[in-house]
Amino acid sequence: MIPRVRPHTLALAAALALSPADTRPQRSGGVPEPSADDAELRAHAIDVVDYTLRAVLDPVLHTVHGEGRISWRNTSTATVRELWLHLYLNAFKNERSAFLRERVGGRGSEQPEDWGWIDLRALALHDPDGTTSDLLRAIDLRRPGDDDETDARVPLPRSIKPGETAVIDVVFDDKLPAIVERTGYRGTFHMIGQWFPKIARLEPDGTWAHFPFHHLAEFYADFGTYDVTLDVPAAYTLGATGPVVDTRIERGRRVERHVQSDVHDFAWTAWDQWRSIHERIDGIDVTVLFPPAFEDMAARDLAAVRFALPYESGRYGRYPYPVLTVVHPQQDAAEAGGMEYPTIITSAGAWPTPSGVRLPEIVTVHELGHQWFYGLVATNETLWPMLDEGVNEFAEIDAMAKWRGDGSAADLVGLRVSDAAIQAIVGNMAVQDEPVAQAANAFSSGANYGKLVYARTAAVLETMARVYGDEAVGRALGSYTRRFRFEHPGPDQLVGAFADVLGDRIASTLRAALFDKGWVDYVVEGVSSRRSTAAAGVFDANGARVTIPRGDEAGWEGSALVVRRGSLAFPVDIELVLADGSTRRERWDAENSWKRIAWHGPVALRGAVVDPDDRVTIDANLENNHGSAEGGGAGAPRSLERATYWTQLALQAIAP
Amino acid sequence: VRDEEAIRARKHPLAVLGVWAWETGLASVGAWPAASLVRAVYGNDPRGDGPLWTPGAHALLDLLWRDAHGVSEAARALALALAIGAVAGLLPMTAMMVAMAHGDPARRRFAVNVSGALDVLPAMAALLILMTAAEALAVGAGVFLGTLAESLAHVGLGEARAQQLATAIVVPFLVFAGVMGVTHDLARAAVVRRRAGPVGALVAGAAAFRADPLSLAWSWAWRAIAAVVPVFAVGMVAERLGGRGVLALAILAILHQGVVLGRVALRASWLATGLRRLAPFHHLDASAR
Repeated sequence: MIPRVRPHTLALAAALALSPADTRPQRSGGVPEPSADDAELRAHAIDVVDYTLRAVLDPVLHTVHGEGRISWRNTSTATVRELWLHLYLNAFKNERSAFLRERVGGRGSEQPEDWGWIDLRALALHDPDGTTSDLLRAIDLRRPGDDDETDARVPLPRSIKPGETAVIDVVFDDKLPAIVERTGYRGTFHMIGQWFPKIARLEPDGTWAHFPFHHLAEFYADFGTYDVTLDVPAAYTLGATGPVVDTRIERGRRVERHVQSDVHDFAWTAWDQWRSIHERIDGIDVTVLFPPAFEDMAARDLAAVRFALPYESGRYGRYPYPVLTVVHPQQDAAEAGGMEYPTIITSAGAWPTPSGVRLPEIVTVHELGHQWFYGLVATNETLWPMLDEGVNEFAEIDAMAKWRGDGSAADLVGLRVSDAAIQAIVGNMAVQDEPVAQAANAFSSGANYGKLVYARTAAVLETMARVYGDEAVGRALGSYTRRFRFEHPGPDQLVGAFADVLGDRIASTLRAALFDKGWVDYVVEGVSSRRSTAAAGVFDANGARVTIPRGDEAGWEGSALVVRRGSLAFPVDIELVLADGSTRRERWDAENSWKRIAWHGPVALRGAVVDPDDRVTIDANLENNHGSAEGGGAGAPRSLERATYWTQLALQAIAP
Repeated sequence: VRDEEAIRARKHPLAVLGVWAWETGLASVGAWPAASLVRAVYGNDPRGDGPLWTPGAHALLDLLWRDAHGVSEAARALALALAIGAVAGLLPMTAMMVAMAHGDPARRRFAVNVSGALDVLPAMAALLILMTAAEALAVGAGVFLGTLAESLAHVGLGEARAQQLATAIVVPFLVFAGVMGVTHDLARAAVVRRRAGPVGALVAGAAAFRADPLSLAWSWAWRAIAAVVPVFAVGMVAERLGGRGVLALAILAILHQGVVLGRVALRASWLATGLRRLAPFHHLDASAR
């Protein structure tokens, strides 16, 4: 999922002006070669739970009638005597749901214009003797003192042993809400996620990882096969998880069967206005569904996939599914935009979005990245949101930078703003407040969740890529995504992958940044420069006696004192700027908290700059990264010139 | 009888320079707080304020966030300068028109031109209020009707088509507002040359436009287009030039001021056209004889 308003982007854009040629370090562009490891990539997930469902949409009443069968296998080491069932559509049933109680601000915080819910009509467990046991009578929808109905406990009449499979018949009716954050309707438009009763994930030790539908997190489930038959009016176009294996028109209805293995969710969309374009990209059938007259947006979404799909496949392991569908909703259904589901993602952007504003590209690349960070590497979003949203935000800024360079967020008449710069600034806003690595509902606010989970995680990884090498960080992440493909790793596995590739010290830096509110601020504390005078007196050297008078000038001497504040340390360059305009660089490992660099030479030391190539993007304050000897500053003539020019143009625009 | 051929911007370069000087002075005052803020933060950087203008804009974003209070103060100063310019700019513009209409190119008389401008300023101010209100009304009506059409057509046509329909509805109103702007300038010419009051000037301006609408519209339009092109052209040059180093900065400043001056000259050229079209009646009689 992507926050609807990317903090500060628009406001900042207005203040920016022409930019010169880049002097920052550039990472090599292009698509990485497929890793040799890909030949050994796991082909399939362990199949835990299979859903065979039929869903009938009434687009007038905005209801879905569903029925089918769930086959769930106990893959834990413990015998199970209850199931936990997620009924997440009930998040929109009333204001007592956990989702609507947790109005943390931002997207999805408004009360739905029309309520939505899921009613279970039947829930029957198949018994070994061929009969069935009704599970509905004993179902426990609520906890004491809590009216939330999204996390139901289902006591079982018999135990399910390790390795045993429970087969459950289910019948349910959905009433969809007016579109809210991810699911619902707007007119005849329907985006349908979290719509069926879904079994929570059983951890290997036999504990259930079950949660109510929290405002800031919703995904964590076992892999399996989804075989879903969708039934909608014939005039409607469908998009859904997995490829279409059968389609027909029956009595004025479109009936489409989608089957996909190795996934842990299923979402779909139905609308009588969808237009579509198709392209085969990197061996995958890609479809973009878009509203009338959104052709330009669809083309931009497709272009983003054209770059990012092979790029991410090369970096994080081959995309394993035969299809990918990008859904581009209208702005009046923007709550449906910026979401991820297996093989189906939603983008965002109004139809006249200027080409220099990269919103559709960023959202598409972000949601596509979730196919790895959430999809294939199926981490617990509720417990560790940074593992999907945070790492994926880095995947986004990395891919966008490779594709669009320094203008990866905006490129407007010389104004170039990078996605990485925005994340760096936003991430710094809340770093002192609370740690990045915590459960989604532990964050003090939705704003801090966004700043820390998304931006700070991405900025930390971007800093590591710039300091220790893009290739090395790419290898660490690639190793993590390949090793834990179709698995459910935690933060230890991510940090462990960094330790394996980059060493324990760097891994501990990553851990400190994520778990311990780690921060760093490099400061040029002082710069001095003066005429050096040779020591006066009589000296014997090389068999000769030399008298040096007092006050004999022998060039210049000076020093720069650079300090590292904070708990993190990254090696940085320190640049000495000399009076003749030339520069000298020195590498500092920053293990100690300060370093003094002495200067002796024929010209004066004008000043010093720490991290001149902007590698440590999480530096808490860029304004103290420089210092000058007295009179060594260069002022700000360029800013005065630009500010005056733009004010002149503004004056002319409104002059009488 | 005044030589109508003398009423050309190129024959009154000092008048054009005067307006440029006014705009530059006011802009410098308006931009000063912003520049001071940058100087306070980056003035001590041996690279100057170069990092602020690095592609990717990391340092610039950092400054905008970290110094949000200073930025808002600078924005207020800028807004104040623009507000002053929008009202007080009437005087230098009128003085330029007076200079072109009545001044002898051979004799540059600043005080006389300003005095002449002050004489007609009440009528010019009344015109400004009247026509600004009328143009705002036209644009507002267009936006209202466009929004209404969009909301009615949203379901049937879809969001994009409905918004395109709204745009199509707004455009004629914008064109109409543009025509009012042209008429406004012609009325100003009538004030300067015929000493007409605001209503009489509007009638005269409208009559002049009605007499030759295409020629006048084109005369205004090509100058408007020509005023936009160099902004983008120099923007592209500036991007390549960068602006680091004294020489690059000097070239950039010259180019920028060339753009500003050129735009003032184009505006003056258009106003001169209006002044020629709104010659005093006795001039027209003399021409007829």
